[in-house]
Amino acid sequence: MATKLPKKTVVFVGGGLTTGLAARQLTAKGIEVLVLERGGDHRGAPENRLPSQRDELRWGIHNKLVQDWAVETYSLRHSRKDPSLPVRRMEAFLPGQGMGGAADHWNGQTWRWSEYDPTLRTRLETRYGKKAIPADMPIQDWGVTYAETEPYHDLFEKLFGISGKAGNIKGVIQPGGNPFEAPRANEYPQPPLEMTEAGVIFAAAAEKLGYKPFPMAAGNSPNAYTNPDGMKLAPCQYCGHCERFICEANAKSSPQVLLYPMLLQRKGFELRLYSHVLGLNYDRKARRVTGVRYLDLQTAEEYEQPADVVVVAAFPMTSTRLLLQARIGEPYDPATGKGVVGKNFCYQVMSHTPAFYKDRWLNPFMASGSSQTVIDEFNGDNFDHKGLGFFGGGYIYANVTNGRPIASRLVPPGTPRWGTKWKQANADWYAHSFQYSVHGSNYPHRENYLDLDPTYRDAYGQPLLRMTYNFRDNDFKMSEYATKKAHEIALASGATLVSPPQPRRGDFDARQYQTTHVTGGTIMGADPKTSVVSPHLQHWDAQNLFVVGASAYPHNSGYNPTGPLSALALRLGDDLVSYTQRERKL
Amino acid sequence: MTMKQLPRRIFLKQIAASSGALAVAAPGIASAADATPAAPAQPGLVGYQSFGPDEAAFVETLVNIMCPADSLTPNGVDCGLATYMDRQLAGDFGRGDRLYRSGPWHRGKPQLGYQLPLTPEQFFKTGVAAAKAACTTKLGKGFDELSEAEANAFLTDVAGGKYDDPRVPLAEWFNELVYPLFTQACFADPLYGGNRGKAFWKLIGYPGLPAFHTKNIVEFRGKPFPGAADPKSIQDFS
Repeated sequence: MATKLPKKTVVFVGGGLTTGLAARQLTAKGIEVLVLERGGDHRGAPENRLPSQRDELRWGIHNKLVQDWAVETYSLRHSRKDPSLPVRRMEAFLPGQGMGGAADHWNGQTWRWSEYDPTLRTRLETRYGKKAIPADMPIQDWGVTYAETEPYHDLFEKLFGISGKAGNIKGVIQPGGNPFEAPRANEYPQPPLEMTEAGVIFAAAAEKLGYKPFPMAAGNSPNAYTNPDGMKLAPCQYCGHCERFICEANAKSSPQVLLYPMLLQRKGFELRLYSHVLGLNYDRKARRVTGVRYLDLQTAEEYEQPADVVVVAAFPMTSTRLLLQARIGEPYDPATGKGVVGKNFCYQVMSHTPAFYKDRWLNPFMASGSSQTVIDEFNGDNFDHKGLGFFGGGYIYANVTNGRPIASRLVPPGTPRWGTKWKQANADWYAHSFQYSVHGSNYPHRENYLDLDPTYRDAYGQPLLRMTYNFRDNDFKMSEYATKKAHEIALASGATLVSPPQPRRGDFDARQYQTTHVTGGTIMGADPKTSVVSPHLQHWDAQNLFVVGASAYPHNSGYNPTGPLSALALRLGDDLVSYTQRERKL
Repeated sequence: MTMKQLPRRIFLKQIAASSGALAVAAPGIASAADATPAAPAQPGLVGYQSFGPDEAAFVETLVNIMCPADSLTPNGVDCGLATYMDRQLAGDFGRGDRLYRSGPWHRGKPQLGYQLPLTPEQFFKTGVAAAKAACTTKLGKGFDELSEAEANAFLTDVAGGKYDDPRVPLAEWFNELVYPLFTQACFADPLYGGNRGKAFWKLIGYPGLPAFHTKNIVEFRGKPFPGAADPKSIQDFS
């Protein structure tokens, strides 16, 4: 049986980005924090050292930093009518494990979402009428406004040394930035990264069409940087080993560089590595959690860890699974539309248009994960959707993050898949091509949701999380529209050859990576009937339980998810300081 | 000073020169000289760990069809492509590392991914046997007796599903297992036995390590990068 340990004040499930940020706020006020993390510490390991860091096969193809699918995977079906099967090797998205979580192996692309995103339902109803949103698209307001989170965005950007060019400072549009940006109090803490040649080409073509290109905001440091906590970033080497890799130069804004080394020095902070949380202990009558159960992977001992407050801060999939297993909150039922846990599961809708330039040297191997040039005209509700038959959109960008040669090669359409002509095409175009990509939104659909698989189990004997998920008409129409816009920019760029647009088509494919941006499952909102957690991320059915991360997003926008979830995590830290002093509904 | 030592010295010098990195990156950098990756594969790695003679003959023919000797590279065998596949199948990948292998087992839609209880190594071998049999049965001669044009047409048909039979999904075998192994064999670090002599990195102009491009991204933006002509691999720094 589990050994019961002494009680802790705040226990976090998962040692990733959101935990690091919330724990920063808590430990600054002397509040005791314990973090349970299933993985180890990457610092000094081969993934964090040269020359082994530069091993595309090991980290980029075999994904050795990602959740081990042999231990735990997810099952999938495209519709409720289909049987589910386990995805035996997931490629579609890449949860991390180890101190720092997925934010150690991210690219660094950092966005604040649009000012209207937290109030998206209100926005769309106001602009297009009460009946405009289809009944099967359960968009909802978050119960918090952008303005309330702005100071936390500002703090996050300073802590992570985010680089970029402001587009909107206190309502004044700034030349060179994103004119669609939500108003911000301050300029980015660091200037933009160097532009790639692809960015030069993209910017000229976009400007020709009347768009406003700007540098992607980046968690890849252009300069040596010291954050307000005294933690340091080194300058980016533009080595092209960001996503799926851990930056050995400490130039990528990561929890293992900026948060955990500091937290580990703080009194009252404890990180237990190789501690896999098995469940949440829930006192149904008291409507409280009493703690968590976990397995110490180093000893095979099971422990019960009592806590005053539990924060579930795992990858969205795990956070949702833990609530479903503990039966905290009503599971979502797509037949009735009732219930909340597992609801509004979303992903991303990516699409591309490859373009080829005989006389331009793109040198894709000189890039960072975010040294990209982008336009925002066709994202979210930045354009008029009247008569278009869909909602949402995406940013369009010169998509060069690396030139790693196994995965990052483009050849013109019609090229044979092997042989001399294939080799010649690789030789001709490797350094002379890039994709115009659309990072597209994925709005919720009534039939896309998460629950527990009835059949398949993980290595700990617990049910796999089941994804019932597919792309829907809204996604296909959005992708068709936005990819055509990307194609038009490519056509205006003076390319030797532009591939036909490749909008998203077909069923969701677990074999194909798009982004690691899965969202929803424990969504936030002002109404307990339609949300798992309150606008303060407090569980409606367990006052001392909080859930933070992208699982709280009621929809997935066309922006990368890191910005708002980081702001919400810092805000949660402050909320918990107050809550631990006086327990109550926040 | 041996040639092997030279690049490492340059490498460490470049690390030291990458300003700022030294100051804050102590764990990753200070002992880069001590980095000891898995025993480096020697150029010209000899022998097979997984393939028997018949399998080796098939795979050698296959990689020489998919990568014929031409003005661009040596043939597939001489590029180490068969060796790469053999080592991958004999190692972690072939044994099913990071692959969820609990039942019950059912076939599903392709988008749900690989669903066979076979390890990748076993699946590879059943595919080789089935492809050889299909070739003999349908074309009347062995795979290694086909002309180059016939062999290319045969592989195209395999990839297109023409030779799928109820027990061996040869299109899936080729497209989801053989083909990824082929491109990895060409473009992975030579550490793993393929891309011998960095033939494919030289072909496309991938400079490899150490990839310190802080200054290069400005200096060589829009221009050919001289380092692409002489790529460096993990072995050069080991």
